[in-house]
Amino acid sequence: MNDVHQIKTGIPGTFYRKPSPSEPNFIEEGASVAVGATIGLVEIMKSFHPVTADRNGVLDRFLVEHESQVAPGQDIAEIRLVN
Amino acid sequence: MIEVIEPGFATTVQDEGRPGHYRQGMAPSGAMDLASYRLGNALVGNDPGAASLELTFTGPRLRFTQAATVAVTGGDMPTFVNGREAKAWMEIDVSAGDELSFGFLRSGVRAYIAVSGGIDVPAVLGSRSTHALVGIGGFEGRKLTAGDILPTGTVRNQASSLRKLLPEHIPAFSGKVELRYVPGLFSYRLSTRGIDQFNGRTWTVTPNADRTGIRMTSTEGPLEFVDGERPFGAGSDPSNVVDAGYPVGAIQIPSGTEPIVLSRDAVTAGGYFTVGAVISADLDRLGQCPTNGTVRFVPVSIEQAAAARQASAKYLSAAIAALSH
Amino acid sequence: MALKRTNTGFNTRYTPAGDEFLFVEFDEAMSLEANLEIQEIAVRVLGEDTEGIIDICPANVSYLVRYDPDVVTFDALVQRLKKVERSVKAEGLEPFKTRVIDVPVLFNDPWTYEVLMKFRDRVQDPSKTDIEYLADVNGFGTVEDLIEAVTSAPSMATMTGFVPGILWSFQLVAFERQIQAPKYLRPRTETPERAFAVGGAYPVVYPSPSAGGYPMLGRAAAPIYDPAQRLKDFADDPAFVRTGDVLNFRSIDRAEYDRIQDEVAAGTFSYLQRPITFEPGVFFESPEPYCHHLREVLYRD
Repeated sequence: MNDVHQIKTGIPGTFYRKPSPSEPNFIEEGASVAVGATIGLVEIMKSFHPVTADRNGVLDRFLVEHESQVAPGQDIAEIRLVN
Repeated sequence: MIEVIEPGFATTVQDEGRPGHYRQGMAPSGAMDLASYRLGNALVGNDPGAASLELTFTGPRLRFTQAATVAVTGGDMPTFVNGREAKAWMEIDVSAGDELSFGFLRSGVRAYIAVSGGIDVPAVLGSRSTHALVGIGGFEGRKLTAGDILPTGTVRNQASSLRKLLPEHIPAFSGKVELRYVPGLFSYRLSTRGIDQFNGRTWTVTPNADRTGIRMTSTEGPLEFVDGERPFGAGSDPSNVVDAGYPVGAIQIPSGTEPIVLSRDAVTAGGYFTVGAVISADLDRLGQCPTNGTVRFVPVSIEQAAAARQASAKYLSAAIAALSH
Repeated sequence: MALKRTNTGFNTRYTPAGDEFLFVEFDEAMSLEANLEIQEIAVRVLGEDTEGIIDICPANVSYLVRYDPDVVTFDALVQRLKKVERSVKAEGLEPFKTRVIDVPVLFNDPWTYEVLMKFRDRVQDPSKTDIEYLADVNGFGTVEDLIEAVTSAPSMATMTGFVPGILWSFQLVAFERQIQAPKYLRPRTETPERAFAVGGAYPVVYPSPSAGGYPMLGRAAAPIYDPAQRLKDFADDPAFVRTGDVLNFRSIDRAEYDRIQDEVAAGTFSYLQRPITFEPGVFFESPEPYCHHLREVLYRD
């Protein structure tokens, strides 16, 4: 079974793929993720809020770029579900 | 009582606010979108002024320990009772043990949950509104966290059928917002060209926006100030003035670059010039300006502001009078 | 004796501030005479005719009125306020009852030092501490000379606002002796509670932890804001200082600071304060001897 699932953000703001400019990305495309894993951050009001996986699977691709503006309900990344 | 399972991004208890202490540096607080808040109370049959929950960007997950009537108003956020979608802008009956939860925000910024009997936290200086910056009012002076237990007030006789707002009274929240303001205060600090620049630009709402203020930006350079020597005590930057009061809705523009519209929890005074203040009729709309949305400032006279204020009051009373069963 | 303010040629501005506030500006530059007139107007308006007025907020050289536009129109309110302004200006500034208060400050304290060192990237001269920089730009040879200048004459509280409990004060010295403090280029995100700071010409004490842009010189030993109203000076109001209070900032050592902190913790601390009648006419004629007199009243046994 190869269902896909979109990870969304509930809050708007600036999306980051890494915890700080000098650190590596939280996760690369193609890697597997588990429920609760942080895949990025959204910054709003100078505070950072994790975007977490809500399914187990393989993170196929990001749908927004590092440092782009995101809106509530926007798709952030696509997971290929594995059972 | 209501049990907070998940708090949402920034959920606070709010009511009409806490006027009369501005002089001491105490902002009035109160619902950012007063009309939506008031309609919520009317829908559940509460007295005006009963405290509600204000949600920002994301909703909480709440469990009710007893039956209650609730209404969700304001920004468009899908509402669920035990996972089943319920409608906004009308009464929803919940039973003991029911869970209220929310989907992703579709428009606006803030939604309100009115609960029959109101959220019964202690009043501080005459209001149940949370002023988180100062740490007073609401639930322990702060936004909600998981595990909080909210007391609710006594419920009076409930209507036997469900009230709802007429569709034509449901406000629409756009991503393109016009805010009317009355020029005044320190507007003389800007040159005529600077004023034209301010009025002419389309400003983008930044993620730096909360109950204290909403910061906006543009890709163009600083606004033009008038030249001349700085008055004693004002400071060296052309946007500095001798410290003065900031009214609610004041538009301050530090260094002439990014306007900040001060909102209901703002500081009450400071040393930046202010070009005017957003009219009372548009403060609700300010509270629903979405991140990355656009704003244009439209100058109006005090007479136009008074007419707009009357029109808002008329809309609200008509909407409440027309609540249908 | 009443003091008539010299005509500065500035016409008071009455402008709308949205439709629920009205803004009145007495001058663009700081002027203690203007401030005292505004304080007097606030007292009179609150004492006489408050219909439609929700709040009146005196600031340094301006004031805000929050009003209910459903009860009173902007134009009608302006007419009322102009009448009060005319009568205050015609009668001059009368002596008024207030207090002189001892405010102990530990200069160069470790707590504000720790915080200010975090924000050296936001100031004009990162190689200096705030107090060193202020001593420098005000032409003092040493930090001690600056402390002497700040503490050798009292200051009057001219404005409240910003956050609950804060005050702005203005030193009761001649224009050329006023200290000028450039604000941070970008505000700090942290300020310790009770930090003593000067911004522009205004000595302030931060009531609670907050952001802030005023250079920090030290830390007051006792609170000026007590929301729990635990100390007896705060029984009537969580904010201790009122506009018109005369504050004498006094440099103390660490031993006295710790002693006061112990008293605050035990709930036994109270401010040294004396009732006075402040005489604007006498003060403006000869500020130095008058301030000397006020300090004598405060510290006599």
